[in-house]
Amino acid sequence: MTDEEFRAEVRGWLEANLGGDFADVVGAGGPGHEHEAHERRMAWERRLGEAGWIGLGWPVEHGGRGLSLVQQVIFHEECARAGAPGRLGHMSEQLVGPTLLAFGTPEQRARLLPGILSGEVLWCQGYSEPGAGSDLAGVRTRAVRRGDQYEITGQKVWTSLAHLADWCFVLARTDPAESRHRGLSYLLVPMDQPGIEIRPITQITGTSEFNEVFFDGAVTAVDNRIGAEGEGWKVAMATLAFERGVATLGQQVGFERELSAVVELARSTGALDDPELRTRVTEAWIGLKVLRYSAIHTMAAAGVPGVEGSISKLQWAVWHRDLGELAVDVAGSGALVTDGPPYELTDAQRLFLYTRSDTIYGGTNEVQRNIIAERLLGLPR
Amino acid sequence: MDDPMRATEQREMRATVAKFLDDNADIRTAMALDPGYDKDLWRRTVDELGLAALLVPERCGGLGMDFGDAAVVIEEFGRRLVPSPSLTTLVACAVLDQCGADDLLARIGEDGLSVSIALADREPTTVDQGRITGSKQHVIHGADVDVLLVVAGDDLYTVDTTSVVRRRRVALDHTRALAEIDLTDVPATLIGPAAVVTDLLHVALAAESAAAAETCLADTVEYLKVRHQFGKPIGSFQALKHRCADLAVLVAGARATAWYAVRAVGTDELASVAPLAKVVCTDALMAVAAESVQLHGGIGFTFEHDAHLYLKRAKANQHLFGTNSLLRGKIGESL
Repeated sequence: MTDEEFRAEVRGWLEANLGGDFADVVGAGGPGHEHEAHERRMAWERRLGEAGWIGLGWPVEHGGRGLSLVQQVIFHEECARAGAPGRLGHMSEQLVGPTLLAFGTPEQRARLLPGILSGEVLWCQGYSEPGAGSDLAGVRTRAVRRGDQYEITGQKVWTSLAHLADWCFVLARTDPAESRHRGLSYLLVPMDQPGIEIRPITQITGTSEFNEVFFDGAVTAVDNRIGAEGEGWKVAMATLAFERGVATLGQQVGFERELSAVVELARSTGALDDPELRTRVTEAWIGLKVLRYSAIHTMAAAGVPGVEGSISKLQWAVWHRDLGELAVDVAGSGALVTDGPPYELTDAQRLFLYTRSDTIYGGTNEVQRNIIAERLLGLPR
Repeated sequence: MDDPMRATEQREMRATVAKFLDDNADIRTAMALDPGYDKDLWRRTVDELGLAALLVPERCGGLGMDFGDAAVVIEEFGRRLVPSPSLTTLVACAVLDQCGADDLLARIGEDGLSVSIALADREPTTVDQGRITGSKQHVIHGADVDVLLVVAGDDLYTVDTTSVVRRRRVALDHTRALAEIDLTDVPATLIGPAAVVTDLLHVALAAESAAAAETCLADTVEYLKVRHQFGKPIGSFQALKHRCADLAVLVAGARATAWYAVRAVGTDELASVAPLAKVVCTDALMAVAAESVQLHGGIGFTFEHDAHLYLKRAKANQHLFGTNSLLRGKIGESL
């Protein structure tokens, strides 16, 4: 199938489904709305799974469709264009799936991949801790082996969707004698058990999408460890590389829509007549083109992004954060008040606040700069 | 997705041009010569690389290559700041091809003629009954090239170089001589519409600037690895690392943008992509070159070190063929 035929197929399917059963969730769950309409968005995940739109880049023998990078991006672009709801299954599909494909045993793949592909099983990420953010090797959550189980004690933080997820992939210390990168293991932990407590964290947007997760003697089977005991760091690093991979290549379409809204807002408030704001709007537009050309360039090079993924992350995160600030600036003094209680934000205000997370999650700008400087430019540590 | 065969051909071509320039181009000597470039080197690029015939179509006896190939040459000259009329000659050939100026193309290819394009007005330029009167400025190597194309009004002409007055100016950028050209009732031959000239010059400057930025950053990073202070390489300090990382992001964006613009040549997208690419890539070069001077410390302020050559080329490229602030304003108007 050519890329354009594939695009037509995706577009047709999205029109039929978002125009029909799922018309109520068009535009739901996008940036700044990630706390909304969870039940309906889970249903959307299942619909995607039924139709075979999950695991597009996975090998066919593991239930994927083995599509090219370009076609995967086309799918993400068309979803954004059609206003498909924000994905709840992105960590399942983009992080856990590829990790299982790279490091899982045949038994683990057979047991866990189908739930991801069908959109029925939701995953969350248990990496960060209060004392281990950018310095992830400082993880202190303990996992003690008892027979064929691990008992887990500790605390994770910034865990998106923990309150909805069926499983969490947890980086835990299995060998307390070892420090830093050694002695860590990568464990898959079922969320529905008495040893786990989840407390939502209210974000600067006033809403809540991420959580603290407390493990107090939570258990998981030894069979749910990915990779060897003590090899968790290697697996976790690979997962982070997936995070900076394919999914972001298709997001320009969503960015384009946000920028168009900012331009419209600027027109309506008269901000376009202000030379400084006009220059900033122009810069944003030029920056978006550069993001687009960069994505196309990366795809033409036909490689799955490696260290270049850090360049892309830094590039779009800064652009998006600046767009958020531009949005409230073109809104003018109207941005001083919200739409009402409890803290109902306008689109511009929401973009301004939400995009502050872009330069932090998935590796802060500062960590990305370290990676680029050391691994791409080869500067000494 | 790029055709793998073409990609391989271009990779080989890039390696050939790079080796030729590394072996033969001496920038310091060339920029000190009277014309501001090495005419013997130009002759050899014509004879050994087929530079003048590169974009001359096969129907005119040339090599019939496309702008993507020309961009490879422009990038390799550009990243080394080799003084040469190659950029303007290649752009001129692409324009002449579009205008069907076969006789002139054949001569350029056959005789290995160098070409430049007079765009910016020094004084208003008018055309009356096939004769041009006015004055042009900032014409790249304009005092020394064999063929001059002149933009007047909405059209492109060629004039006899012996019937104009050419003045070489001492340029801010030592590696690219600039000339003023006075035209007084000079007979001119109409080539065609001038519309695409500026776009192609913008794309060429974008490709050159992105490549120069890449090399300038690589040179700077190498210096940070070997220069020791406080008992360690200064490239191990996070303050410097982070600045280099930000530059790497700029360079990656510039390279992608130039790459896209080169592929837009001959499409409807060219008119919108070309000025944007010029702004993005020349600004990236300026940012990298400015940081390069700073990160080199005192040595970066010496004439002996090449950092200032990149700085000067960057500033020149930002200004040439429409300043970036002007182009940015036009891009803003199109929103």
